[in-house]
Amino acid sequence: MSATAEAQGSFWGSVFGVLQRIGRSFMLPVALLPVAGLLLGLGGSFTNGDFISAYHLERILGDGTALHAVLTVMTNAGAVIFDNLPLLFAMGIALGMAKKEKEVATLAATVGYLVMHASTAAMVSIEKMSVTAAAVANGNVGAYVGDDDNFNVVLFDAAGKVLREIFHAGQVGDVCGMTTLQSGVFGGIVVGLGVAWLHNRYFRAELPRALSFFGGSRFVPIITTIVYVAVGIAMFYVWPILQNGLAAAGNGMHGLGDFGTLIFGIVKRALIPFGLHHVWYTPFWYTELGGVYGPVADPANHVLQADGLISDIAGGQRAFFAQLAHMGASDFKHFSPDATQYFSGEFIFMMFGFPGAALAMYHCAKPQNKVLAGGLLLSAALTSFFTGITEPFEFSFLFVAPFLFIVHVVLGGLAYMLAHIFGVAVGLTFSGGFIDLLLFGILPGNDKTSWIWIPILGVIYFFVYYAVFRYFINKFNFKTPGREDGDGEVKLFSKADYQAAKGGAAGAASASAGDPLSAAITAGLGGKANIRDVDCCATRLRVTVNDGGKVADKDTLRKTTGASGVITSGNAVQIIFGPRVTIVKSNLEEYLESPAADNPVTATLAAVETQAAEKKNLTSAIAITSPLEGELIPLSEVPDEGFAGENMGKGAAIVPSKGVIKAPFDGTVAMVFDTLHAINLVSDDGVEVLIHVGIDTVKLRGKGFSPKVKDDDKITKGQVLMEFDIPTITNAGYSLATPVVITNSDAYGSITASPKGKVTFGDKILDIK
Amino acid sequence: MQSISYVIKDPIGIHARPAGSLIKELGAFSSKVTIKRGADSCDGKKLLALMKLKVKQGETVVVEADGADEEATVKAAEAFLTKNL
Repeated sequence: MSATAEAQGSFWGSVFGVLQRIGRSFMLPVALLPVAGLLLGLGGSFTNGDFISAYHLERILGDGTALHAVLTVMTNAGAVIFDNLPLLFAMGIALGMAKKEKEVATLAATVGYLVMHASTAAMVSIEKMSVTAAAVANGNVGAYVGDDDNFNVVLFDAAGKVLREIFHAGQVGDVCGMTTLQSGVFGGIVVGLGVAWLHNRYFRAELPRALSFFGGSRFVPIITTIVYVAVGIAMFYVWPILQNGLAAAGNGMHGLGDFGTLIFGIVKRALIPFGLHHVWYTPFWYTELGGVYGPVADPANHVLQADGLISDIAGGQRAFFAQLAHMGASDFKHFSPDATQYFSGEFIFMMFGFPGAALAMYHCAKPQNKVLAGGLLLSAALTSFFTGITEPFEFSFLFVAPFLFIVHVVLGGLAYMLAHIFGVAVGLTFSGGFIDLLLFGILPGNDKTSWIWIPILGVIYFFVYYAVFRYFINKFNFKTPGREDGDGEVKLFSKADYQAAKGGAAGAASASAGDPLSAAITAGLGGKANIRDVDCCATRLRVTVNDGGKVADKDTLRKTTGASGVITSGNAVQIIFGPRVTIVKSNLEEYLESPAADNPVTATLAAVETQAAEKKNLTSAIAITSPLEGELIPLSEVPDEGFAGENMGKGAAIVPSKGVIKAPFDGTVAMVFDTLHAINLVSDDGVEVLIHVGIDTVKLRGKGFSPKVKDDDKITKGQVLMEFDIPTITNAGYSLATPVVITNSDAYGSITASPKGKVTFGDKILDIK
Repeated sequence: MQSISYVIKDPIGIHARPAGSLIKELGAFSSKVTIKRGADSCDGKKLLALMKLKVKQGETVVVEADGADEEATVKAAEAFLTKNL
């Protein structure tokens, strides 16, 4: 579809990968916004004095009624989430970007955020005091303008002339009870990215023995505190400069007026296929880039309370919700269309344009395909109409008719501009569907949001989309849903189709317990071993693989999984499923944990059957049985980084209850360590196994170990290989955990350990494929 | 081809854990790696082979790398050996 999507260059691949991770990291906090918006929207609307008096509901909803109390609580509960969005972003980004032990990174991000603001707040307070003292000493006057939380400090001379503004308008405000510089969501992002970097670097930090309690992941919040004290101080000097720069850039965009809105809209729509739109719109919604609104920033247009803003707010969406929280004020007039220019237009094409285009596609479908195509298109159109989630629809034609997508990008961009021109100021939490229109347009009232223009423009959009799509589909014979050649298999994934296809393909439904979609995804991505990381945003499954070359080609992957689209770039793969993706993701994760995932191929369509086990060409699985009696535990629970991190290979560990090792298979003793605590075996099949008794037991220098075999001895299954003395190990303070690892793990497709629990000699502990 | 030599200082020699970490480190490079101790040598990407060398304290190992990233490979090997062994 474009150069970027197909870029295999490792540089662009990794840039794409990082942006993709940042983008999806935004999704966790952003996914909370609809609920927060619901609370705020319902609470704000039904406590709105105008609304109440217009419908004569004083007795039910007026001040002092129980419902009013409930709604006020709801308003505040919703508002606190929007107010603390920077903190949520800091946590969400740290969580998303941390490679391991994500919970530690999240805690550290909270620490970093608080410490940074506390340090900045201290600097602000110091500056305020010293300036005031100096002013008084020189016979000048220092004064605060604004209230306690949102002030600027101005230095006057005795005659009342302004000498200097120490804090610029709107720079200072309240964050978690601290009077600090308003660094907004950018501050949160600075914390999130920085803490993630610190975390990935230090979560395995080793400290001197005396301080070892503070090592590893505990070190992360500690180093974060130290670093963010410095960052907080630096912010005090740097942030005002950035703040002014960003605000100027945002105002520059405003300066472009409606044209700027058009550009914003076009870019946002055009980024959808790459999943990078989150990175684009977020700053406009949440930071200075989207403009600063309020009494200090915009005194000319500001009449106290008329726009609901008591203090300055940066970012379009944040400004809208700040206004919403104060909408009940009697002299509140209208939401700011400048603040909503970055989203109000979405309602027009999401609720009206797309259904028009869907109808056009339906009418263009071949007669025999109309039922199937109709089902697909109707569900996509309804999803778009009600929730504003558009990807299922966009991806139904993006790949088959890129030209139509370009047309849509332009029409979509225009919708943002039109909404701005007509002064529409309808807010949204997440996307422009009916639910948000109702809460943030219709309920607040047309006099405050001018929502009526949305259906008016929408009806026009409906017909424009219908006409344009119908015209071009027929003219260029685009293969939109229902127009495919041949039997016209409509790109609609239904379980029945899938089962039919599966039955016809291999009939090898060995994984009856497994779930076929997850199996298809796993196989298409080159097997479980190739999947490094699974995540999702609103509509896409976002997967990082170890080797992009092992992933099936895009068309195959799309067809076998029934997805709306597939995007790959280097080792990053996105599979677009639509809103059901969260379920797809959790099923996939569950599936990957299950033994069925080790051999997904048999449970998959013929199209990806070629992904069969390479390397060793194993015709059947090899089972490794237990060489010890005791408790089987996952390798990751071994108290040693090297083993737990699979440095020696994959496998499992056993905490032995009996000091005897027996041969798990027929084979050869490759070597017995000189320190006698470990033994290497090679099976007749070529599986290399290391059995390492206890952790750090190399330091026992052989004490307590008595091997019964020597290097190169032939062994038979069940033969005693070594005896060891458990008390010698435990009394010396070493862990008994005995890793049994496959040292040539790379030669196999997958190695799965049996579930945790008691095992005895001969019980299966590992499955190799 | 690039190579480095290093005298093992760890009293226990190259035992299982550092061997695993070294192999993992070297596995990240595309060059072919050979580890030599006197007349004996092994593939520097095969853990079992390295463990079988049973390298002890005071012995000199030579790490040879041959390939596109040979220089980076031996540097990484040297850094690892110096730090851990």
